Amino acid sequence: MSRREVTFTKEQIAAYAEASGDRNPIHLDDDFARTVGLPGVIAHGMLQMGLMATVAAEAAGGPDKLRRLYCRFAGMVVPGDTVTFTAGPLAPGRLDLKAVNQMGEAVLTKSVAEYG
Amino acid sequence: MADSAKAETGVAGRTYPPVNFQIDSTRVAAFANAIGADPAAGVPPTFAAVYSLGATAPQLFGDPEAAVDFARLLHAEQEFTWTRHPRPDETVTSRGRVASDVNRRGMRFMSFETDTTDQRGQPVCRSKALFVIRS
Repeated sequence: MSRREVTFTKEQIAAYAEASGDRNPIHLDDDFARTVGLPGVIAHGMLQMGLMATVAAEAAGGPDKLRRLYCRFAGMVVPGDTVTFTAGPLAPGRLDLKAVNQMGEAVLTKSVAEYG
Repeated sequence: MADSAKAETGVAGRTYPPVNFQIDSTRVAAFANAIGADPAAGVPPTFAAVYSLGATAPQLFGDPEAAVDFARLLHAEQEFTWTRHPRPDETVTSRGRVASDVNRRGMRFMSFETDTTDQRGQPVCRSKALFVIRS
């Protein structure tokens, strides 16, 4: 079982926005995010998936081993949230991926990796 | 009735022109740092969010006929399937298409797929994104 705990920050979300090119203001501008019904800026689903992939890669024996990744973005992650990412064996070549916040809520569901 | 609650909205099947993308090693390193991956370990798998999904999704979002309300868009699901992982400084080509576009219970569900190939036309990655646009 591979595991990683991450406390999200606005700086990390902004760094991901810059590096990925996804500069949707819902990730960068609290005032804008509130105008579309969000509590403030939220983390990119793809940032959660990127972090999840590092844990999956460790369990798979290296990032180059990953053949498939699937994530369902089930819950919002906001700055200050602490998410625990785990990857554990499901079947040969297959990993069960979980991401759970500090309230015990799954933020990624039905998520799997395949490797080989 | 089930049929009236589920309607195709018109852009399913639409394809967009291929986009070439050079996998810049400086940007790869910044991306690796942002997700806490080792920048020396090559291109992080989910850099596909940039060279595959990210290279093509702006074509969908900028398409007036697709009329995607970007501010109300949520990324609901994402899948990447790799034939191989690209190398830093490699150029890849990505082609996006709308696989389905359905209205259900007042929300719009768009499935957007991207195929990324290398410069010999060999497959690298397929991205499947599900976007939900709240009304």
